[in-house]
Amino acid sequence: MNRERRNTLLVVSGVAAAYAAFRIAPGFGRDDLVFEEIDDPAGFQRLTAGQSSSGFDPFVGLETQEDADNLAAAEIRARQNICAALYHDLPTTADEVPVASFSDYYCPYCRVQTKRLAALEAQTGSGIRVSWHELPLLGETSTLAAKAALAARNQGAYPAFHERLMRSPFQATPEYLQSLANDIGVDHARLVADMDSDQVLEDLEISAAIARIFAFIGTPAMVIGRTVIQGEVSERTVQAIVAREREEGWGSACRVA
Amino acid sequence: MSGGLKKRIASLCGKAFPVLFALIAILAFASMAAAAESESFANPAVEARLITAENGVGPDAASISAGLHLRLGKDWKTYWRSPGEVGLPPTIDWTGSENVAETNFLWPAPKRFTAFGIENFGYQDEVVFPIRITLSEPGGPTRLNARVSLLICSTVCVPQDFALSLTLPRASGIDKDAATQISTYAARVPDDGTDSGIGIETAHLDASMTALTVTARSDVPFEAPDIFPELGEGTAFGKPDVRLGQGDRLVWARLPVLAAAPDLPELQITVTDGSRAATLQPALSDAPPEPPFSIAAVVPGMGELAWIAAIAFLGGLILNVMPCVLPVLSIKLSSAITSAGQSPARIRTGFAISALGVLAFMWVLAAATLGARALGLTVGWGLQFQSPVFLAIMFVVLVVFAANLFGLFDIALPTSWQTRLARAGGGKGYGGDFATGAFAAILATPCSAPFLGTAVAFALAGRSIDIAVIFTALGLGLSLPYVIIAAFPHLVGRLPRPGQWMIVLKIVLGLALAGTAAWLFWVLTGVAGQWTAVWVGALSLSGVALLSLRRVPGMARVLGAAVLSVVSVALAGYLSDADKSTAVAGTEWAEFDRSAIARHISIGQVVFVDVTADWCLTCKANKALVLDRDPVVSRLRGSGVIAMQADWTRPSETISRYLESFGRYGIPFNAVYGPGAPDGVVLPELLSSEAVLEALSDAGSGRAAATQ
Repeated sequence: MNRERRNTLLVVSGVAAAYAAFRIAPGFGRDDLVFEEIDDPAGFQRLTAGQSSSGFDPFVGLETQEDADNLAAAEIRARQNICAALYHDLPTTADEVPVASFSDYYCPYCRVQTKRLAALEAQTGSGIRVSWHELPLLGETSTLAAKAALAARNQGAYPAFHERLMRSPFQATPEYLQSLANDIGVDHARLVADMDSDQVLEDLEISAAIARIFAFIGTPAMVIGRTVIQGEVSERTVQAIVAREREEGWGSACRVA
Repeated sequence: MSGGLKKRIASLCGKAFPVLFALIAILAFASMAAAAESESFANPAVEARLITAENGVGPDAASISAGLHLRLGKDWKTYWRSPGEVGLPPTIDWTGSENVAETNFLWPAPKRFTAFGIENFGYQDEVVFPIRITLSEPGGPTRLNARVSLLICSTVCVPQDFALSLTLPRASGIDKDAATQISTYAARVPDDGTDSGIGIETAHLDASMTALTVTARSDVPFEAPDIFPELGEGTAFGKPDVRLGQGDRLVWARLPVLAAAPDLPELQITVTDGSRAATLQPALSDAPPEPPFSIAAVVPGMGELAWIAAIAFLGGLILNVMPCVLPVLSIKLSSAITSAGQSPARIRTGFAISALGVLAFMWVLAAATLGARALGLTVGWGLQFQSPVFLAIMFVVLVVFAANLFGLFDIALPTSWQTRLARAGGGKGYGGDFATGAFAAILATPCSAPFLGTAVAFALAGRSIDIAVIFTALGLGLSLPYVIIAAFPHLVGRLPRPGQWMIVLKIVLGLALAGTAAWLFWVLTGVAGQWTAVWVGALSLSGVALLSLRRVPGMARVLGAAVLSVVSVALAGYLSDADKSTAVAGTEWAEFDRSAIARHISIGQVVFVDVTADWCLTCKANKALVLDRDPVVSRLRGSGVIAMQADWTRPSETISRYLESFGRYGIPFNAVYGPGAPDGVVLPELLSSEAVLEALSDAGSGRAAATQ
């Protein structure tokens, strides 16, 4: 009888455990988001997704003193209104959460991340607005591709360029850009001229300055409302953070400094 | 300095001396070892150093074996010379080196990484890139100055740019560790086929550049081959379909071309297999090689099968609490409660037989599936719900059961039967136990479809053994409650005693059954037409009414009800306008053509893709309630919208692959493409008119996916 009772107990607790596991399992990872306040710029926080980003040098690519000076100047401009620099002048209401995405066309996880964000933004009722930043860290071809995409914006073709560059394997040679311009239907000569325009350079500098302000170590990176995220994160994490930002009010970070 | 302090220092020195000595020894050793390796560059993701096999440049030595040694942190990767769709290979700038005439950087065979549909080739954990350095002055002292550019990625990609330097004096001697490391990885550098014994037989690129087909041969059987073609930087290939043949001595592989550059350099193919690899430049052949065998579906590994079986088991278990099954389990339990006086042995056997009933039905289903598939018939889960006769039978049975639970009548066997059965001892009603189990399994089918879509779609497209395994696992899960009672019959004794609560329970269960019956009625309306359903409903209800007439003798009641039931079932079969209803096309659907989607988008059209199958109930519901109704139907028929339908009723690799690209293995599946959503927006499984219309207008309005 005792043995039977023990058996019964075992079975019952086994079933209970299985049931509990089943009930709990879908909730795994939902509330394990850990944040850490950032001192500078104040009001922002960093998602520490179990990964430490310390121990890395700030990203490379500053070859000359002139570059460094330019970046320092851009940093001052960006800090004057960090939210405007991050989210441009997007018409955001309290319900809508702004997202700034930083990516490089040659970084594998950037493809994943930008596709995911674009799909999320396209979903009706997602309540997010994405501003896309080019952060070319992976050499000259990256820079060339970034400049081309930004230059295409003057002809209203940034989404098309962005989408094409994110979709296909490519070498951003002048010939490739020529054929891409033809495919998408933008004026190639104007594109080439715009690639070195002040506006494009300013955009790149501001994006690089923001990356430095938030100490990004690489791409992809995101800022959702007041939360800084390094690396690719799941759609659920993005949505969880968007929901938090909406509830807690991301606007607190955006008072002009 | 005070005396006390002196003493303390002396004693400290005394203690510290052995430690100091050891430290000096280590430093001396380290400086010896440092002769063959550079200082390392390290961060949490990567530790890099330059190593050489030689401790110094020997007299008349014309070359040096060096290596770039990388130790990558967990989850970090770096890339091969052809990194895949994106990524960057490591590069080294040797500016500032002395006595270096030429360097030759070698690439060990890569590994394939697939993440979110992006294929990358590279290395993880540890790798040494062997470097052959030719000296300008043989035997002269040499300085290696390497500026390394490296891309490493985990979930974040971090470019690395660092310098490593190494000075080699005139000296002889070999650093064993470094030499071993370099030679280990040098052996992994693909050869020209001489030592690895791998040769490429044919390589074919079709004219429209959709796929590369390759066959490779080796006298030593292949174990786990992979194929890495290189065709210039603008060309990328997808995941290969690799098949082995001829006693594993032949590899056939087909790789889809994801993107092709306009001008193509010479094709180069690297074949890897375990520790051996070869890089070859085959001539292109005119015709694609035939695969050694054709597979109807991708053959799953044991692990995958076990995983799917586990899902099926869990699914089966969950089915017990579904509204369509719960009443059956509860009836079974309550019957056990009322007859609590039964011996444990009787209860045990009864429940074991119920469990067997569940399994038996599952096996019948599996056998029927296999048989029907062998005959080339349309098969699918939930298929039986398209048969009006089946629906009518189920409806009648449910209505009778519900009425019984409401207490409208008692199903009592004639006294003569009861005595005969009682005399047969414990044998009473085993047939009923079996039927309970089978009935639970039958009722479970409509509920299981949405939950087990993955497992069942997998089974239907799979091998016979897959089907058997999955249906068995499903049956085991569904019968687990019965098995538990069978194993511990006294559990029944723990259930509460009969009382007032049982009447309440009976009514609740009756309501659940009535709900299921109502649902079946709705399905019957859809399948067989409104009038058929009304007839079946009316006849069943009059059957129940007849049964509850207490004045009529028992036998007459049962017979009358039976006749009414048979008539209603026969009517269902006779009146059914099922054939007509399926022929009505609500929307003019175009044939599904994946490659045409991009073309339509490029001219600004919106493409709506519906993957459906005859056996998919939810698809039918979507069609009936949303797609074939206004306002959606007129929008789909309107200009600028192409509605494509893919019929997955029979296994189709094209459709399976298409679904797989979205990470889906089951249907219903609906997606909308357009200038605003070139990659497609997947709609929820249960459609609503609003969702479809919004997706259509978003995709079409150029409210682009990547808006600035």
